[in-house]
Amino acid sequence: MILEKNGRRKRAERIAILSAAPLLAGLFVLVGCGSARRSEPIAGPFHAATPEIERGQRAFMQYCNPCHTGGEASFAPALNNKPAPGFLIKLQVRAGLGAMPRFPQSVISPRELDNIVAYLKAIRHHKPKAGEVHG
Amino acid sequence: MRPSHGGGQGVKFTGPRRVQPSDVALPDGYRIEAVASGLTFPTGVAFDDSGTPYVVESGYSYGERWTTPRLVRVEPGGRVAVVATGGRNGPWNGVAYGHGAFWVAEGGELEGGRILRISRDGKIDRVVEGLPSLGDHHTDGPAIGSDGWIYFGQGTATNSAVVGEDNAKFGWLPRHPEFHDIPCKDVTLAGRNYESSDPVHPGGAKVRTGAYSPFGTPTAAGAVVRGKVPCNGAILRVRQEGGAPELVAWGFRNPFGLAFAPDGTLYVAENGYDDRGSRPVHGAADVIWAVKPGAWYGWPDFSAGRRLDEGDSFDPPGKPKPEPVLSPAPGQPPQPVAALGVHSSSNGIDFSRSEGFGHRGELFVAQFGDMAPNAGKTLNPVGYRVKRLNVETGISDDFATNRGPVAGPASRIGNGGLERPVAVRFDPAGTALYVVDFGVMTMGPQGPAPQPETGVLWRITRTGRASR
Repeated sequence: MILEKNGRRKRAERIAILSAAPLLAGLFVLVGCGSARRSEPIAGPFHAATPEIERGQRAFMQYCNPCHTGGEASFAPALNNKPAPGFLIKLQVRAGLGAMPRFPQSVISPRELDNIVAYLKAIRHHKPKAGEVHG
Repeated sequence: MRPSHGGGQGVKFTGPRRVQPSDVALPDGYRIEAVASGLTFPTGVAFDDSGTPYVVESGYSYGERWTTPRLVRVEPGGRVAVVATGGRNGPWNGVAYGHGAFWVAEGGELEGGRILRISRDGKIDRVVEGLPSLGDHHTDGPAIGSDGWIYFGQGTATNSAVVGEDNAKFGWLPRHPEFHDIPCKDVTLAGRNYESSDPVHPGGAKVRTGAYSPFGTPTAAGAVVRGKVPCNGAILRVRQEGGAPELVAWGFRNPFGLAFAPDGTLYVAENGYDDRGSRPVHGAADVIWAVKPGAWYGWPDFSAGRRLDEGDSFDPPGKPKPEPVLSPAPGQPPQPVAALGVHSSSNGIDFSRSEGFGHRGELFVAQFGDMAPNAGKTLNPVGYRVKRLNVETGISDDFATNRGPVAGPASRIGNGGLERPVAVRFDPAGTALYVVDFGVMTMGPQGPAPQPETGVLWRITRTGRASR
């Protein structure tokens, strides 16, 4: 019965992420035009303004950084310049999309995911210094 | 589906390499300069008792490019003077100085790996030889411990323990068709075998190959492969006067960079799995580990402490899940200090020890950059920079990276900044960080195309108050 419930939940998550996929894709195309570079040489030091953001930065480094290094364009797409709302970020983390794997609650806890979302929202506003991202 | 856009892909390099320090972005309060240029495949830097820098040039590069391995002294003004030269057994992967001599890891692509002791007047002695280094990954390091021993890494023969067609592309399988990975301790196989074409006998039948076995040799469940030292995927150590190497820790894939922290803990930078070969692994991070003597670190069935068959994180798109080849696993790997970029090729490492430079106690990491598409697809260039890492929190950030809207090697983004940082080392005073930049390596239809005489030795110093 538990397996069946889990299966239903996973199917529901899949349906939800598939429904949200066009919105995500649209965000990537329409808004993903600014540079995502946020590292210290480019944007100055990042200071976590709250303990939640600080915890989110640590969790990001553990789970997200290998593919979305520094939130920049790297192995996987950039995150720093996408204004995706928190619920969509959480949906994608839980359900996966395309090559992105799923991260169930047994891997990233709900609190950790809240913290990651807080960090991602904070890093968006940590913009590059003038003149650093013009090739 | 988007195609791969690695940093070396689609780059037409005609040379000469332009070197322009102002194209490298650093944190406020630091400056970078080129100390020497025109080096051929440099991989390491060390300093003698007087603080003079010496560089090793590898003498071999992926792409089957052979040159002469050299230890050169860097004179004021950037001229280099040859101290010692090696034979056709590169790559020389890194150098350390201590006990009045230079210690070089000779990669051993043709004759097997060695640790060399090179006196200041250029006399070469073999401290260790016969290391299993004929495959994908070589003898790396070295680092000198406070116990006086020479510590070094020995990479694996293969990507994930199974010899396949990818190893023929590297060049070594036709030379050494019998070569395969050697475990450091006894392991029991799960009996999984992988079918592939036979590049050693083109046109022949398909063959099946198991883990820790020669190409074309299948294995059975429950078979025990006897461990021995020296072995692959290990950190080993040897006395400076030579003798049999001892096992420090095992279960690494390619433990390229070694450094001792100020508290004496040994740290290692490990190159993670590639999405290639008979048993490809997708999305595997490069990893920084704190080394616990005797521990097993997970290769070939774990990545960064996680099982390869756990969830779908490591499933290569359109290819089978990487199921375990060992049963049971030799242990539970430790958790990593940090997981760095997939395909970033995080290589040489060193700790800041001085407030004169700043970031004391933090680890600096040279990232060579991706080798896509051979190592696997990447949507954007990965690496090509120097990172710094707080080993207590696991938080990393760029320290030196090229300017521009996107990251990448200078040859791709069209400036005169970093190409492929492969090693970092603080000078004896701890106030200058030297960065060894391997030079241009593009990725063409025939694989890696390294460009001789494009290597650079950079130096980063503090000019004012750092921003933190």
